[in-house]
Parts: sequence; structure tokens; C-alpha cells
Amino acid sequence: MAFLEVHNLTKDFGGLRANSNITFSMKRGELIGLIGPNGAGKTTLFNCISGLHPVTSGGIIFDEEDITKLKAHKVAQRGLARTFQVYAASGDLTVRENVMVGCFMRTHLRSRAKARATEILENLNIGDTADYLVNELPVAAQKRVTMATAIASDPKLLLLDEVAAGLNPNEIDEIMASIKHVHDDMGITVMLIEHVMELVMKISHRVIVLDYGEKIAEGDPEAISKDPRVIKAYLGERYVQEHGGMEESKE
Amino acid sequence: MEAIRNALDFSDFPRLDLIVAGSVGIAFIIFPLFPHSSFAMSTMIQFLMFSLYGMGWNTIGGYGGQVDLGKAQYVGIGAYTTAVMLILWDVPFWVSMPIGMFFSVVWSFIIGYPLFRLKGHYFAIATIATSLVLKDLFEVWDFVGAARGLEISPIKYHPPDFLRLIFREDVYYFYVILGFFFLGVLYMNWFRKSRLGFQLRSIKDNEDVARSLGINVHWAKVKTYAIATAFVSMVGSFHACYIKSIEPEDTMSLDISILIALMAMLGGAGSLWGPIIGAGILIPLKSYLKEWLGAQVGLVGIDLIIYALIIMVISAFEPRGVWGIVEKFRRRKRN
Repeated sequence: MAFLEVHNLTKDFGGLRANSNITFSMKRGELIGLIGPNGAGKTTLFNCISGLHPVTSGGIIFDEEDITKLKAHKVAQRGLARTFQVYAASGDLTVRENVMVGCFMRTHLRSRAKARATEILENLNIGDTADYLVNELPVAAQKRVTMATAIASDPKLLLLDEVAAGLNPNEIDEIMASIKHVHDDMGITVMLIEHVMELVMKISHRVIVLDYGEKIAEGDPEAISKDPRVIKAYLGERYVQEHGGMEESKE
Repeated sequence: MEAIRNALDFSDFPRLDLIVAGSVGIAFIIFPLFPHSSFAMSTMIQFLMFSLYGMGWNTIGGYGGQVDLGKAQYVGIGAYTTAVMLILWDVPFWVSMPIGMFFSVVWSFIIGYPLFRLKGHYFAIATIATSLVLKDLFEVWDFVGAARGLEISPIKYHPPDFLRLIFREDVYYFYVILGFFFLGVLYMNWFRKSRLGFQLRSIKDNEDVARSLGINVHWAKVKTYAIATAFVSMVGSFHACYIKSIEPEDTMSLDISILIALMAMLGGAGSLWGPIIGAGILIPLKSYLKEWLGAQVGLVGIDLIIYALIIMVISAFEPRGVWGIVEKFRRRKRN
């Protein structure tokens, strides 16, 4: 039994089909990358899975339960967390307090939430930012705060929406290490939307490619980077020339 | 236990704030010992009442960001419950107040549940509408005296009747409401750090993010609205005993609703001290303007113009109110 199973998911906004018949499944402990050009329907897919958008047709099964019709907060309570491209939970709160909002999903006790939030911030190497307001931090740290807030609810599956966008190469390495930490050490299954190919290709077990709302390819990073449809739709000739497939880039 | 500790813990405020707050608190306690006019005393009582209204409003309107302009209906429910029960059955204040709160909370669920399907301005307008409708109903309801309202005629003045909250001297009312005020501050200090308080700030910023963090947004709003209501109803009950004469046009008017919201916004919505600061500015101003200018021929209503101006200036200059200005001089937001 698959951990997350999306079958024939279709989502229409009025006359626009944002997701069309998307089917894929995910095993517990996997790390999957979701790529595709802007407007391909990646974030819409996340919104559908996390229950923010009602799906037009199709179904979603998460951890042996049909969550297709569940409201977003119920989906979150089942252990499916996500981040957003907009940053934290609240600009009025400090970093630690933002993470505590996530912790409060599992506990009513402020002291327990606070201790857990502090622990998570330490884990993601942003313990020293705990008492700042989120918008006082650089973008890279803000991205970590969103990750920390999502992790705070002790999810089984974490959907990351462009946590590396707008970061410099050093920061990308750092956030990649954080994602690996979340996946390998905390044992959370991860699916990530990302435009930064270095990151996706390096850490994903499997990559799914969307274009115009349809799934056009799925496979391991190496195969995907050689897939002519993917190159045409998204990667472009230049990426392939620079990286020459995955063999060389892995060193 | 932890809740009580959190309510008493103000340690996240700078020492200066605590010194100021402590001094002001002590000044309130010893205020009646000094010579004062009855006008000053009634202004103080009004100030404490409106601070409490504002604290209630601040839960849903400030931390939750849902602008509620219909709080007067709950002033009315509280005031009428206490007045009716006292007049007809001689029920003590301490019994009728919780019953009034219960009625208010039930009513708040009845209207809150559908109303929170609305957002922003639509929600604000809908709260005004429900409040006005309830006022109109009370105006034609003979059991509660219809438009004439109700009059509490004191059965006895001496000794001070702490059970029914019927006193001749205002000083007793002052200390009762001051007690409520301190409890209100402690409750709000707990509330702002509570699970619900944090969830509300998340809802205020972005409801989708809040949902994805497992927060039942609609229910959190309805729940908070009930808390705000309980506060307002409690003070409404006190209002009945203090004023001793209530009528719909006065107790449940739109003016009251707007004043409650404006005070909290002027002082700083979504902050612990905001509603108190707002009430501290607007209530004395309103009383004095009414007393001095309102009596002059041709200047009737000028008080309204002046305080509207102040509100316009403040909201243009700093939307987070007076507390927002204080925060601007500091690096840290403290709410």
C-alpha cells in the first residue's frame, strides 16, 4: 500500500484546467521532487493534496485514508504538513512563536510548545534567531522558519513549496542539508517543488515533471534529466549541455 | 496551574513598561483616597468599563483581526438580564451576571456561526446589522419595558449592598469594576500567549497558512467571538447596576459598538495595553468635551467631531495605534 496515492486528480478553475488527470504514488520514506515551468500547476497540486482546494475529480489517499474531501485543517491533523511561498504564520510573532503555532497542533501546553519549538529551531541551525520577528531575518532564514513551523506539527509527510527560491549557492547548500536532516534523521517523507535543479537532482529519489497541468514524466533524476520531453518543456538545452546528464555532475 | 503562571508572567515586557503599568495600577487603587469630584469618579468608572469592553473586543478584533462593530448587543443582553432578574425576582448581581454571560454566549454562537462565513467589511457590516436588529427587538418587547427601558429603584442603600451591587457612593462601584479590570488584564495576559491567541494571529495574517497548521479557522473565530462576548456581557451587567436605568437607545446604540472598537484601535489593536490606552484617551476626552463644550449653544456634537479628527490623524499616522508608535521607537513588537 502506497503512503500517498494521487489518482486521476483534476482541478479546474472555471474554464482553466490547472491539474489534469495526475496520478502518482509515494512510498513512506521517499523524497520526491516536483518540477515544471511556471504555471504548470505544481502549487495547485500541493493545494489540492493539502485540502485547501477542493478537487474537481479524482482522489487522494494518505496513509491508508481517503483525504480527498477532508478540510485543510483535518488533513494537517492527519500528519500532512506543507510550507508556502509566502513565509511565516504571523508577522506579529517572533520566530519561536511562529514555530509554536505549529507545535500547538499537538499540544495545548505553552511550556511544551515552547520547548519543542526551541528544539526544532536548534535542529535547523536557526536557534539564534528565535527571538527576532520573522521579517527581520534574511530570506534564507525566513525559509527555514517556514520549514520549522511545518515540521513543528510532527508531520509524516512534508510538502515543501520552493524553499530554495531566491537563495545564493551557499544558502542552497545549507537548506539542502536541512532538508536531508528532516528526511534522513527525523524520518519525514518529503515532496518538494523546486526550480533549483542542482538541489532537486541531487537529493530527490524520484522526480515528477508537470507541464500545462499534466504529468509529462516521472523517474529517477538521471532519467529525467535525459528525457527529451522534459528538456523541451522545462530544463532547456543549456542545462543538459552544462550538466551533461547526471553522471558528470555527481562527480 | 501553568495558565495561572502565564497570566501572572509579564516578563516579556521591558522593565520600563512594568514600572509604568505598576504605578498606574497603584494610582488607580489609591485614587479614591484623594479629594476628587464626582465627575472625575464617574469618568474613572467609565474608563475602567470601556477598558474591559475594549479588552473583550481585542480578542476577536485585535488578535483575530475580525473587525466587530456589534458589541453593543451584548452590553444590552448583559444589562437587561441583570436588570430584569433584579427587578422581578430580586436575583443578586453575582448570579444574574453569569446567567447574562450565558445568554450572550449562546446568542454569539447563533449569530457568530453564520457571520464568520463572511470576511472583512462584510463581516463588520453584518455585526452592525445584528446589533441593530436586536436593539429594535428590545424596543418593542414589553416584558423588558420596550423603548422606555427599565429602572432599577434601589430597595435599600445602607449598608452597601454588595450582593445586588446597589450602592449610594460611586466609590464602591469603582472598586468592584477595578477588581474586574485587574482580572481582565490577567486574563488578557494569559490569552495573548495561549494556543488560541497564537492561532488567531496566524489566522489574521493568512487563513490558508493557518489551516495548513491544523487550525480550524471558522471554529477558532466563533470561539473567540464568544470570549469577547462574555467580557462585554459581564460589564453590561455591571452597567445596569451602576447606571440603574437602561433603555435600548442608550445601552445598545451603534455609538457604543463603534466606541468600543475605536478605542481599541486607537490604543493599539492586538496588544495587551492598547484597549486600556485607547480608553484612557477617549473616555476622559469624551466626558470633558461633552461636559464643557456640549453644553454651549451651537456647539452640540462638537465632541464627536473632535474625536473623529483624532482618530483620523492617528490612523493616518500609525495604523497600529498609540501602542504602535511606542513600538516604533523600540525594535521589538510586543503584543
